[in-house]
Amino acid sequence: MSLPKAVYEELEKVVGSRNISDKEYVLAGNRAQTPEIPVRHRSADAIVLPGSTEEVAEIVRICRRHGVRYVGTVSGGIPTAYATEENTILIHFKRMNRILEINEKDRYAVVEPGVRHVQLYPEVRKRGLSYTAAAVGPGGSVLVNIACTGGDHHNQYGSSRPTRYLLGVEMVTPEGEILRTGSLEAGAGWFCPESAGPSLRGIVKGYSGNAGHIGIVTKCAIALDRCKGPAATRTEGVSPHSRIYMDDECSRVYVFNYSSIQDVGRAMLALGESEVGATVQKYFYLPLSLMMTSSANEFWEKWDGFRKAFPMPLVVHLAPHSVREREYEEKILFDVVRETGGVRLPRELERWWEEHMDYFMIVSRLQSVLRLGGSWLPIKTGGESVRHLCDIGDSIREFIHDFTDTGKIFDAPQNYQIIPMEYGHFASFELLFMWDRTDPNSFRYMQEFCAASRETDLKHHAHSMTAGGYGRAGEALGRLYCDCHLWAGRIRHSFDPDFDPDA
Amino acid sequence: MSDLNRFRYTMESCNHCGQCKWILPHRMSGWDFAEVCPIHSHFGFDAYSGQGLINIAREVMEGRLERTDELAAMVQTCAGCGACDVNCKSVRDMEVLETIFELRRDLAETGHLPDACRRMAENVSAGRDPFGVPQAERFSWLPEDFREDPEADVALFAGCSAARDPAPVLAAMKILKAGGVPFRLMTEDERCCGAALWRSGQQSAAEKLVRHNADAFHRAGIRTVVTVCGECFGAFRSIYPRFGETEFRSVHISQIAADLILQGRLSFRRDLPPLTVTWHDPCMLGRLSEEYVPWEGEIRSYGLHVPEKHWNRGEFGVYREPRDVLAAIPGVETREMTRRMEEAWCCGYWSGLADPECAAATAGERVREARAAGAEVVVTSCPFCKTALSGGTDPLPVVDLAVLIAGRLA
Repeated sequence: MSLPKAVYEELEKVVGSRNISDKEYVLAGNRAQTPEIPVRHRSADAIVLPGSTEEVAEIVRICRRHGVRYVGTVSGGIPTAYATEENTILIHFKRMNRILEINEKDRYAVVEPGVRHVQLYPEVRKRGLSYTAAAVGPGGSVLVNIACTGGDHHNQYGSSRPTRYLLGVEMVTPEGEILRTGSLEAGAGWFCPESAGPSLRGIVKGYSGNAGHIGIVTKCAIALDRCKGPAATRTEGVSPHSRIYMDDECSRVYVFNYSSIQDVGRAMLALGESEVGATVQKYFYLPLSLMMTSSANEFWEKWDGFRKAFPMPLVVHLAPHSVREREYEEKILFDVVRETGGVRLPRELERWWEEHMDYFMIVSRLQSVLRLGGSWLPIKTGGESVRHLCDIGDSIREFIHDFTDTGKIFDAPQNYQIIPMEYGHFASFELLFMWDRTDPNSFRYMQEFCAASRETDLKHHAHSMTAGGYGRAGEALGRLYCDCHLWAGRIRHSFDPDFDPDA
Repeated sequence: MSDLNRFRYTMESCNHCGQCKWILPHRMSGWDFAEVCPIHSHFGFDAYSGQGLINIAREVMEGRLERTDELAAMVQTCAGCGACDVNCKSVRDMEVLETIFELRRDLAETGHLPDACRRMAENVSAGRDPFGVPQAERFSWLPEDFREDPEADVALFAGCSAARDPAPVLAAMKILKAGGVPFRLMTEDERCCGAALWRSGQQSAAEKLVRHNADAFHRAGIRTVVTVCGECFGAFRSIYPRFGETEFRSVHISQIAADLILQGRLSFRRDLPPLTVTWHDPCMLGRLSEEYVPWEGEIRSYGLHVPEKHWNRGEFGVYREPRDVLAAIPGVETREMTRRMEEAWCCGYWSGLADPECAAATAGERVREARAAGAEVVVTSCPFCKTALSGGTDPLPVVDLAVLIAGRLA
């Protein structure tokens, strides 16, 4: 388990001796087992910290020349961003952390992989701008979050909200060439994801395995939205009891309870048609309960109460540009909720939401969902129509009780999330559950639960992502599910004749 | 004896979310000053972070990573500032810093310790303080005309650093006198508080000092121990309770000064030139000064701690009083740094035992942050912070809080 000295020295020449290591204790920092997966990550043979796209390209060329595998990583929060085979190095982007441009007129920002949300978000807010990010927490990489999130099937590629905010991209191909897409390729700047000729937009796929893309994204531009509100976020208190105050005029949260998911879906579609709501979510109340408590013990004390208090919360965030606009949106919102049978929950809950969930990354308290030991998994992540996803939500009760009632997993029947996007044209779905990692059978239970979920989805003609389910879903649904992995295999085969695309 | 297994739950719970490295959103201000872990910032590898160090602790515990002097030196590059711990605990129930300290203890007890750390314990064994000052010279700075109140149940704890720079303690004496607070000095019996030894993993050596001082306070009938040094304050609060119930309460001079000001018992001159300062929160006065509450019990499924565990999450450090005092001094304007209170960037002093270059970079970063805040002077209340921040190639003036207060008393 060590890189040949000659290879190490070649890499060292590229990044400098400070920025490469094969010391065992340095490697140990990136190979520990995480609680989601009960397997020990294989050790990388070395870790390199490049400082530029050119250095990444050179590293890739060296690896290619010597048959060394490489994995790119930033925060390590994705359990697959580790070495899986011998003779692998980690390319870690800690040093590539520059915000290269914030263009206020054309509303985009250009970042390297090491830039975190807590760095970019306040910078764009200073300029009256904002952006949407999937839920990763404040230390998540902006680039990975925007460019490399995606599921495994056709609906997800380029259609989830973050990926639609992806503009120009610079990446290093497996041959070590630097590829630029969109308007960047034509020398016209970063502002557009498309360029003349065939679209390369889809080259950026996802983060993992067959769903991952080929190459390393080293820079990207993301679209920014105009945002009314203070340039600096007003806060109060000391962690963990700190609060974030948004401008009350231009940022308000409303939480409603519903008795059926179909009614929630109707409300989502009506709000979409009316173009009301910066964010509309059918939120999962298990994470919410965790975020609202300060320790696992407090959670267990209050869990039953939370479960009864808001079993099916619809959360709506209004971000209007004026008081008049807010009043208009509020009126529509309340009309929709009245017509669909929603009941507004106490203002204190809404205020808690406003003060803790600042909606740029749902957010500082997100990792509280890991508080129960860290064994968790989001499944069914994928895009579909709002109505279909409501049916999928409803179908969870067909299989969940076999697992929750026997203690095999920890979840609750309506603990799932649906987020409509683009005025209700489609939505994303997420079922989040946990298991007891101290139980030696828990990993098997987790797999069984995923399989039951997957089979139920197929029965209901859904094809969202479930860990370990690519083969089964692909077999059942064919191209309706996805053929990207087949194409990826063929492309890889053209680079690497030893790779069998049919394996 | 060390027992890394006590922290198995923490080691096995880490999801590598990165919260231990980056500032929490309620303190964010921009691209700059967004990191909270000095060693991760300096070295860049994940091994040099809270997450990485608990990974290392786990491999050591499981016998997969060899204990070596090189590893011990690497582990000691961490200043033990606890920023990772507070950040992690903002959302998790994990003991990141305790695990790092236990790893140090494990390495120290198996003979792996940087020379600079080892020398501290040797000095103490030889009747000196950890930094080499003989016990006989510990109070050599004391003015001959000093008269204490022999009946007082309040002791002013001078600390080891007074032998190098007595100004803060002399200033504290002036403040106590001005406020009419009777106090004593433990000139015969005071020893090092033990923090430096404990934090470097030499816990048996630290325990001797802890027991000596606790016994001395008991015999002298001391009920309140006033500290000027943030490190000593943090030691009394977070280290002493590990060795038994403490019979005294510890108070920092900033807390006394804030109280005296509130009572109208301290007044300040108004004829001195204005000064723009920033307050640097010492780790052991801030996030690491919460009182340690021992816990023994069982961690059940899904993180349920039985009996319920008290968590120190850095919320109740001494943050408010120093700021209140600075706000009360006429002519002093305080500018806040981005990384403050529970999110304060460490001065890096203790990294210097293993890696002076890392320590200098850490201190330099803090000075840069102070300057960016618009400060002319950094005010703090820890001699180690003062030493670290006063070094480097482009330092700002650093003033001890007690010295600033005393110098402006009417």
